[in-house]
Amino acid sequence: MNALVAFSIVALVVVGTILFALFSLRRFPSDPQQYLVGGRSFGTILLWVLLAGEIYTSFTFLGAAGWAYGYGAPAFYILAYGTCGYVIGYFLLPAVWRVANERRLLTGPDFFLDRYGSRALAIGIALLQFAALVPYVTLQLSGLQTILRIIGYGGVDSTLAVTIAFVAIVLFVFTAGLRGTAWASVVKDLLVLGAVVFAGIVIPTQFFGSPAAMFDQLLRTHPSMLSLAPGTAPRGTVWFVTTVLMTGIGFYMNPASMNATYSARSENVLRRNAMLLPLYQLVMLLVFMAGFAALLIAPGLHGAAVDQSFLLVVQRYYPPWVMGVVAAAGALAALVPSSALLLGAAGVFAKNVLGDGLGIATSERGRMRAMRVLVLVVGALSLAFWAIERDKTIVELLLLYYNGITQLAPGMIAAFVLPRATAGSVAAGIAAGLAVVVYLVLTGAPFFGINPGFAGLVANVAVLLLFSRPSGSSAAT
Amino acid sequence: MRSWRVAVAAIPVCALSVAVPFVNRVEPRVLGLPFLLFWILLWVLLTPPCLWLVGRLERRW
Repeated sequence: MNALVAFSIVALVVVGTILFALFSLRRFPSDPQQYLVGGRSFGTILLWVLLAGEIYTSFTFLGAAGWAYGYGAPAFYILAYGTCGYVIGYFLLPAVWRVANERRLLTGPDFFLDRYGSRALAIGIALLQFAALVPYVTLQLSGLQTILRIIGYGGVDSTLAVTIAFVAIVLFVFTAGLRGTAWASVVKDLLVLGAVVFAGIVIPTQFFGSPAAMFDQLLRTHPSMLSLAPGTAPRGTVWFVTTVLMTGIGFYMNPASMNATYSARSENVLRRNAMLLPLYQLVMLLVFMAGFAALLIAPGLHGAAVDQSFLLVVQRYYPPWVMGVVAAAGALAALVPSSALLLGAAGVFAKNVLGDGLGIATSERGRMRAMRVLVLVVGALSLAFWAIERDKTIVELLLLYYNGITQLAPGMIAAFVLPRATAGSVAAGIAAGLAVVVYLVLTGAPFFGINPGFAGLVANVAVLLLFSRPSGSSAAT
Repeated sequence: MRSWRVAVAAIPVCALSVAVPFVNRVEPRVLGLPFLLFWILLWVLLTPPCLWLVGRLERRW
């Protein structure tokens, strides 16, 4: 009975959101510009919900609470890196948009193709983004399963439920494109806001009297949890600083963010968004508080189970309809960003790999059809990947993803500040960065507490600068 | 002019990254929050005014 109530609410909300988004579209997209970048017509508000919609995922919902629960202060990096990402975006995105608008670019790799004139580089970047996105979608599916398993109260096949929900969202993107995702984000953002205010303020107040009293109790029971370990310790201060910088720089490097950037109506829309988006980070503060409250109320979770932390509290102490609403918010937080990610991955593969690389589907209609088919393919791939899922927490998977995707940032920034950068030097930089990341992650070598992605970024920039020297310069002087 | 606006934008970034080891403490508590969390929250909230100021310096609005 409990499961029935909760499941009905989730199903109702997901179906309602999809219908709302479909009805909000004036017409279905019919060409790649409309489908992938919304016809470059989004104003400040729609872009705000779209960006917030794809950045604040089920990771926001479960992973951040899980890290607060499991580690404490290291989770605060999430609050910091997004904000740094927005500041960098204030300068970078309008510049990228200007090029994209003039040259009618469709995807992130198109930008590299346009600036560096190398098809091979653009294809390589497209493949890298594609490879990084599939696990990222998988991450959302794991998050969704965590939610659906809890609201099943042990009696429902969560794998089947996840598959049904995901197929629904794949078909939705197939039909509606980026504008559909933006409208679905409106519902998602409102519901998530409600859920985190409940979880981060109402729960601590009901159990401890006030959020401040909750921190008092937390400091008594876990005195070292609310500050970072010093220096080079695992998840210590060095890790914190390098992780914030690395993930902040990589913040906008995935194809979905590029599509969102291109969809802006003007440069100033992007600047206003960079200015306003940090306010959305307040949601993260509430999520941390939910995680801390869960630690005091329901201690004893370990490993990947920490991602369930505050949902278990809701399940145990609140009626099924509350559980249903919170779970619905979480489900949308997994599904709506997935729709943007699927679209981003399908876009880079159709345009840069199939179109530019192999000469397939280069007409407008052909490209449109290829993108739609690829949405289905990427969806199927993600489901397959998810079926062989490993036991990592959501944040750990997210950090792995950032390690790779951030390596694209130096090449993109160099396009504006380093005129002598070439396709070769950008490619060499990316290769060096990835090599360092793969080595450090695979060997698990402790590297003075420095985040592997940050070390990769340093190598990347060094190689980029080194190889960007014009070869004849020493002879000329 | 250009260096000014980059400097203004760099303030929150530095406060949220390289400054963190220096504010890595629980006391004093502010608004019930441990100091580190309060510091990070403070700079998250100050980022919009900083970027607004950058926009003014650039004469964007």
